[in-house]
Amino acid sequence: MMKIDNSLPLEYKTEQNQINILGFWIFLGAEIMLFGTLFASYFTLVNRTGNGPTGAEIFEITPVLIETIVLLTSSFIIGLGIHAMRLGKKTAVMIFFAITLLLGLVFLSFEISEFVHYVHIGAGLQTSAFTAILLTTLGIHGAHVTLGFFWGLFIILQIKKRGLTPEIANKSFIFSLYWHFLDVVWIFIFSFVYLKGMM
Amino acid sequence: MNFFDRFAIPHPNIAIYASMVAIGMTVIAIIAGLTYFKKWGYLWREWLTTVDHKRIGIMYLLSALLMLFRGGVDAIMMRAQTAVPDNTLLDAQHYNEVFTTHGIVMIIFMAMPFIYALMNFVVPLQIGARDVAFPRLNALSFWLFFMGAMLFNISFVIGGSPDAGWTSYFPLAGNKLSESVGTNYYMIALQIAGLGTLLSGINFITTILKMRAPGITLMKMPIFTWSALTANAIVVFAFPVLTVALLMGTMDRLFGTNFFTTTNGGMDMLWANLFWVWGHPEVYILILPAFGVYSEIISTFARRNLYGYKSMVVSMVIISFLSFLVWTHHFFTMGQGALTNSIFSITTMAIGIPTGIKIFNWLLTLWKGKIDFTVPMLYSVGFIPIFTIGGVTGVMLGMSAADYQYHNTMFLVAHFHYTIIPGVVFAMIAGLTYWWPKMFGFMLNERIGKWAFWFIAISFNVTFFPMFFAGLNGQARRMYTYSTSTGFGPLNLLSFIGAIGLAVGFGLLVYNIYYSFRYASRNISSDPWDARSLEWATHNPVPAYNFAIIPEADSIEAFWDAKQKGSSLFKGEYKKIHMPNNSGVPFIMSCLIFTWGFSFVFSMWIPVVITTLGVFVCMAHRSFEIDHGHYISVEEIEETENELRGA
Amino acid sequence: MKELFPLKQVKGFAFSLILTGMALVVLYFKLSFTAGMTILLITAFIQAGLQLVVFMHAGETKDKGAIYTNIYYALAIALVTVFGTLLCMIWGYA
Repeated sequence: MMKIDNSLPLEYKTEQNQINILGFWIFLGAEIMLFGTLFASYFTLVNRTGNGPTGAEIFEITPVLIETIVLLTSSFIIGLGIHAMRLGKKTAVMIFFAITLLLGLVFLSFEISEFVHYVHIGAGLQTSAFTAILLTTLGIHGAHVTLGFFWGLFIILQIKKRGLTPEIANKSFIFSLYWHFLDVVWIFIFSFVYLKGMM
Repeated sequence: MNFFDRFAIPHPNIAIYASMVAIGMTVIAIIAGLTYFKKWGYLWREWLTTVDHKRIGIMYLLSALLMLFRGGVDAIMMRAQTAVPDNTLLDAQHYNEVFTTHGIVMIIFMAMPFIYALMNFVVPLQIGARDVAFPRLNALSFWLFFMGAMLFNISFVIGGSPDAGWTSYFPLAGNKLSESVGTNYYMIALQIAGLGTLLSGINFITTILKMRAPGITLMKMPIFTWSALTANAIVVFAFPVLTVALLMGTMDRLFGTNFFTTTNGGMDMLWANLFWVWGHPEVYILILPAFGVYSEIISTFARRNLYGYKSMVVSMVIISFLSFLVWTHHFFTMGQGALTNSIFSITTMAIGIPTGIKIFNWLLTLWKGKIDFTVPMLYSVGFIPIFTIGGVTGVMLGMSAADYQYHNTMFLVAHFHYTIIPGVVFAMIAGLTYWWPKMFGFMLNERIGKWAFWFIAISFNVTFFPMFFAGLNGQARRMYTYSTSTGFGPLNLLSFIGAIGLAVGFGLLVYNIYYSFRYASRNISSDPWDARSLEWATHNPVPAYNFAIIPEADSIEAFWDAKQKGSSLFKGEYKKIHMPNNSGVPFIMSCLIFTWGFSFVFSMWIPVVITTLGVFVCMAHRSFEIDHGHYISVEEIEETENELRGA
Repeated sequence: MKELFPLKQVKGFAFSLILTGMALVVLYFKLSFTAGMTILLITAFIQAGLQLVVFMHAGETKDKGAIYTNIYYALAIALVTVFGTLLCMIWGYA
């Protein structure tokens, strides 16, 4: 189990590490279907606004653009983090991960204020089918980011305490897969919920 | 008293009260028994905290058999109620509750755990592995299923059973038309169990792709393992759809959203659509491992290798993909235009082709074989003609224009029972009988088994064949009664008689287990059927580490070939073996999730918040945990092997 | 793999910002629905692919066959679900 293949990056070095990474990719396949189903429902219900507002009436490009840039940047930063990890630079890894999570918090704070704003202007969860699927889709993505925040935090604490062992490198890499995936989902939300809605 | 009012049954009757008493007494008896025999420690150490795939498989099996009993009782009640016109055994409300629970229990809590029981026990052994890729996750999967099942099963004594059908269509399943918490139980219990299944899907795919013993390439894997791979691939991509649908249904019922309502833009049809996007792949999840079981059994007892291994593999891969393309055939009559319906008609008929290929391959395997009609073989041979009836009636239903006549009549009910029972249930009984000696160290009695088979096979046809005609004559599905003038009486009476026969047959199955447990010899070979695949190359009982030395296999039937050539699969010396540690976290986390689910059903938000935090604490614990398992020393291996070889 | 400067990451980041900018075009120009959707689809899928290959190292190990198969399969089924749902619920509804 602990046979180490030193020709590979740290996160793949042991057999169990490779198994963990493949398992997580398959989980991401399932997540593609999860968000795929949300999108299918979104496109079906997008025009069913009942007595409530449409997307065009409530979306504002500025906060959405900020959210997008923030998330894209956080994805870049964690990419730097993994790069540093492969070079064995423990402190750099912790700093890059911390910045990533900070940007995640910024994203979440913008999203929460976005939700509060929507409720204020009459586009709450219960208003119509459209608002329900809109807020649920955004909310599930946001919940994933929130979970990711805590997960990433725990990893930083473990790096601090135990250093960059193959196991921790493995966990960090898997976390980065998760974070990148959330960025991919956001790109689709940005394009097909917001931009399409404001076209 | 107001707080406790919510737990009252909205529509009580004497049977429900009797059940409350029975459940209470059973729980007390179990607790008393465990205490008296001082088995709490044993239970915790050996079963509640196990991560061993063999133990987990057995727990799935016991759960499935228990649920088979519950679903079967539901079935007898339905057939008894409809045996004669204008019957008053069950009123409409209770009939609705019974057919709803029958469907959910049989599909989600009987068939699914049954296939996972067999896959858990057999697949790692067939690929020469020591366990699955993620043993802890495997344990979590089982306990999530178990808690989902328990949550669902107490609905009828606390708060009220769901009653909107196993398909739970909106707007019927919405708050206005289903006021009791029954449908909340549906949404949440299925969500919990579904999560467990999704995790298993990821686990098994990773296991099969990454943990095969050296020499076992993909195209040299046993066919049952291939069926497990394709079925779990479906799981990974289908179950998230159910997750979303159930979430939206829960939100409609508990948070006042408008996904599936008839106002404010809600679209009730969307529920049916999403449900079946999951639901159709679900039935293929059930049938593919069943096909895998048949392939193993038919080749073993025809004493020859499976005909057309490659085409069997390809057909299962194609089936797994096509299964996602046919779902609309479950609601042809919901209002789609002819073009849409026709597209799905074509995909539906297309999926019959790879299935047909498999049937021909089985027949060709039998053709030149030396057939030994053991109990597993009887079920497998019986499956072929009976399932074919289900299959061809499926093609009839798949023609969208014609389906307007058959949809939601008893014809449909007959069709799906003709595919699911000979398809899945026969395979499960056959697989259970076949792998029983490897699991428990003794054989099930052949004579009793044969009696059970004939009772079940014949009674099955007596029960369900009349339903084709009743359906064509106009009897709708889910009708709690009918008048004499409809003329449905005689056919339904026949069904009831058949149902009694089925009850006898399943009773014989249970009796067989008891009888064999008491009287069967424990002195059996580790390969009692003279079989062909690697799981039979283990000792009886299978040691915790499965294989002392990882086998080297170089053909599809490595074990059989080794037996013929007199060569050994196990080369080299003993080395210390790394095994995962037991853990109580999966069980504890699942108990928290059960409590979460129960609180959610009754909108008790404070316990919901507390248990949610508890679950996250468990996950955080797991993140920080350092657990490198343990090693079994060479001395221990030698000791175990010598002991077992003596047997 | 041992370069000190993360050139791939920087290039990837720059490219994803450019793609985001391109997608914004649909907001600031009066395009037909088809043209707008095409731009969105292309930019979104390219960005997704970029993340997958450059950032997530999908093609790096011997498991890449399984990983890519898994992603393509998921994508295919997701598209079938999206378009099949739209077909049944809206476009193909009588």
